[in-house]
Amino acid sequence: MDERTTQLDDAFDAHEFSRTGAAATAAALALSACGGGSGGGTTSDAGPVVPDIRPTAQQAARFLGQAAFGGTEAQIADVQARGYSAWIESQWAQTGSQSHWDWMVANGFAVTANINNFQGVDGSLWRRLMASPDVLRQRVALALSEIFVVSMTGLPVQWRGMAVTAYMDLLSQNAFENFRTLLERVTLSPAMGIYLNMRGNQKEDAATGRQPDENYAREAMQLFTIGLYELNADGTLRLSGAQPIESYTQSTVANFARVLTGWDYDTVVSGSPDHLARPMRFTASRHSTSAKNFLGISIPAGSTDGPGELSRALDALFQHPNVGPFIGRQLIQRLVSSNPSPAYVGRVSAAFANNGAGVRGDLRAVIRAVLLDAEATTPQPQAQAGRLREPIVRLIQWGRSFNASSAGGLWTIGDTTNPSTRLGQSPLRSPSVFNFFRPGYVPPNTPLAGQSLVAPEFQLANESTLVGYANYMQTVIGNSAGDVDADYAPWLSVANDAGALFDRLNLMLAAGQLSAATRATITTAVGSMASGTDAQRLQRVQATVLLVMTAPEYLIQR
Amino acid sequence: MSSQRSPSVALGAAEQDRRSFLRRAATLSGLGVAAPWALSLATMGEAAAATAPSDYKALACVFLYGGNDYGNTLIPADTDNYAAYQRIRSSIALARDTLLPLIPTVALPSGRQMAFGPQWPEMKALFDQRALGVLLNVGPLIQPTSLAQYQAQSVALPPKLFSHNDLQSIWQSSLAEGATSGWGGRIADLMMSGNSTSTFSCINVSGNAVFMAGRNAVQYQISNSGATALNATRSNIFGSSAVAQALRQITQSGSSQWMENELAVLMSRAVSAEAQVTSALAAAPALATPFDAASSLALQLRMVARLIGVRQALGARRQVFFVSLGGFDLHDLLPDQHPGLLAQVSSALGSFYQATVEMGVASQVTSFTASDFGRTLSSNGDGSDHGWGSHHMVLGGAVAGGRFHGQLPATAVSGPDDVGQGRLLPSTAVDQLSAALATWFGVSATDLPLVAPNIGRFDANALRLFG
Repeated sequence: MDERTTQLDDAFDAHEFSRTGAAATAAALALSACGGGSGGGTTSDAGPVVPDIRPTAQQAARFLGQAAFGGTEAQIADVQARGYSAWIESQWAQTGSQSHWDWMVANGFAVTANINNFQGVDGSLWRRLMASPDVLRQRVALALSEIFVVSMTGLPVQWRGMAVTAYMDLLSQNAFENFRTLLERVTLSPAMGIYLNMRGNQKEDAATGRQPDENYAREAMQLFTIGLYELNADGTLRLSGAQPIESYTQSTVANFARVLTGWDYDTVVSGSPDHLARPMRFTASRHSTSAKNFLGISIPAGSTDGPGELSRALDALFQHPNVGPFIGRQLIQRLVSSNPSPAYVGRVSAAFANNGAGVRGDLRAVIRAVLLDAEATTPQPQAQAGRLREPIVRLIQWGRSFNASSAGGLWTIGDTTNPSTRLGQSPLRSPSVFNFFRPGYVPPNTPLAGQSLVAPEFQLANESTLVGYANYMQTVIGNSAGDVDADYAPWLSVANDAGALFDRLNLMLAAGQLSAATRATITTAVGSMASGTDAQRLQRVQATVLLVMTAPEYLIQR
Repeated sequence: MSSQRSPSVALGAAEQDRRSFLRRAATLSGLGVAAPWALSLATMGEAAAATAPSDYKALACVFLYGGNDYGNTLIPADTDNYAAYQRIRSSIALARDTLLPLIPTVALPSGRQMAFGPQWPEMKALFDQRALGVLLNVGPLIQPTSLAQYQAQSVALPPKLFSHNDLQSIWQSSLAEGATSGWGGRIADLMMSGNSTSTFSCINVSGNAVFMAGRNAVQYQISNSGATALNATRSNIFGSSAVAQALRQITQSGSSQWMENELAVLMSRAVSAEAQVTSALAAAPALATPFDAASSLALQLRMVARLIGVRQALGARRQVFFVSLGGFDLHDLLPDQHPGLLAQVSSALGSFYQATVEMGVASQVTSFTASDFGRTLSSNGDGSDHGWGSHHMVLGGAVAGGRFHGQLPATAVSGPDDVGQGRLLPSTAVDQLSAALATWFGVSATDLPLVAPNIGRFDANALRLFG
């Protein structure tokens, strides 16, 4: 039995706060959460962004669980040294590893033998998610890939692998740009054009009865910008006589669909995938010249200016009051918590509306507002709080926490979709444009359902996937994930002391969330394992990592 | 071990069932408002019937994610209507000489004829054997709705028509996304008292679906190869039995935190159910009926058939199953991709029905298709867009097969059933379908509103899907 009851933060002395200091900070945060910091008094005001404190190790680890994929002990210390805000600032300019496109070319995957498969794509995705130094950009790009969904399950074209790599590069490159820029680039990307059928979309034809394809028009509104119902700035529903108000109608979809006609690949050169890295190109002869009336736009019949019409349509969507709360709430859900308060959504929405310099849609301001809000930086103790960590984020966290590397350089983790033997989720492999899980998913037969609370990631949680995850992680931690393996060597020296080992891993992986009871269970079990040889010490490390990463107290990020 | 299938053991199980039902009933009565309906006399009567050893019924929902294109699933075959179909669909129309015309036992009005496409030979054979009935133009409705009422928006309509996720949810639950119970689960709520282990009342071989969640019934998830065993229940972890024990304990320990607790609930159910399922399946004879091993849907339905085969070992008298196939959202590439999907449906359902015949339970198992929505009849060049009403299939030995049920819509754009581009205004409500299936399953007439909340506004007896 290990007797240590040491404070979890003890492993980190360099920038440690005293217990009193941490408590004082928490009190300050609580004050500012009550509106003390804003001075404005309205909930959609600038609101309580946390002061640039020097966080404890536990706080820094928790922050990296939101802003990154967790972090190593050194990265935790770095956040402690800089403070949250300065860490975020340092990430804006942080360079990343090789782009997906360039890596595919450099590693021989962009060849004609692969035009009808996705060879190399999973590897490149895992490579950047697990090891690229621009971790905030990677984290946000992954979140965006679950909002602006393109999936390998629906790209039935030649050079499909290059289409998806170009798309993920686009999301990474635009993760810190303006939302309007991102929206236009996504709209004109060949991958999205293929996935939601804007590519090749033609004007109506009275002779055959053919109508413009409505897919992108509908989903761009429902999923990428304004959503189904009109929202207040804090994300709550606007009501008319107790009823929600629909944001658009079938007529809006049909009119917008006409605007979206006439686009296809830019010049295709036989044997080259390069057209997939360029925006789609407009052909006026395929564009609908019918009148288009929607979202306050009125384009008379006869217009052939497809690019101009598109620009007006995207402007109208971008200026719609729903976008800030609609996208802001989802970014909070992806990075921080499943059920943010309306006030929190309102503050993020305000940052979307105005970055402080009069600019709407500045994603840096939005990301800052999401991550620096007091509701994000303060642990939420309520029974219903938190979010379930996504299965793929857990695997990425394992890789980053233990400096995983690919022996052959190809990151051969592969497709992790299988729900009973792997993760039930794999990057850029959503079953549909509705993502792996919906922002409004309510797990049935739970207290959450009784309170109308959502838990999106629980859409992936069931008897098969929980067992599949535990078994898969046992293999990954004990052996490797494909040719990707962790470096546990730095941990062997502490493995003789099951309590110290647990405390450091609990801090690094779970921001110290695991309870004393769980600590007792784990340290008792691990303490019973032999530790005389390096091989035995390695097993102690692996066992502790597995037990931490399968504990519900880790899986729910609070 | 609970894999024995001898009659004496089955009787013993029935005895246990009655005791456990009474225990559960007592528990429920203690909950006061939670379950007055669960204790209705009708339910008690059903529970008694459901505990008879030979008594068994199963429903299997085959959900086609993405919105199946009704236009190329059930095709007009008479000269005039085929010509109209061909004119409206042009580049995405199926060639007439490839169709498989259906000869129903009850002729369609006005001399109309309908056909399956060339990918449905198994479905055609099942129709001919009178095991398959075709339900025409079914979709979500709040109340009977005429085209004039729809256009005037003068009656209540389902929310968010034409939206995938919401219409999936409405089909499965009667409510848009965020719903917490579906009619499969609600049927199970009323019937699962006959099952000795409530976990096996709603078994999902696909991903989480609100259809399978009841107010009390929960969906139990299984893969198409069976229940997955947690390694820690079978062997040491990293050489240590203590670590395996710790893993079992940590992953199943309850918590005051709701989300943590739900994970523990799921893992506990996974571990206990897996032990039962795996031993039951291991002891069961192999199915002789072949299923297409390359088809995800076929493998899911094969698992459903195998689970039905071990119903006694699992103590199950009434079960609801859910399987699915995705990829039906064919705005583009409909002519390329729809045939392959339809072929999977036909092959998988053909094998499934055959397996129920092999096991002697064909008349005790009813399967049916469902989907987000139908699509437009008009083409957008290479596919079709989101619609509303659609045609669906009901299959089983108890089904009034070899015929059409409901009303056949006109083959027209801007016709009497069209809300735009050949989007069908449903003439039969999903609630009528769920009520008919629930009634066959044993739900009493008075309990139908618990399954199908809108049924009171429809004729619950209009559909004669059985008998």
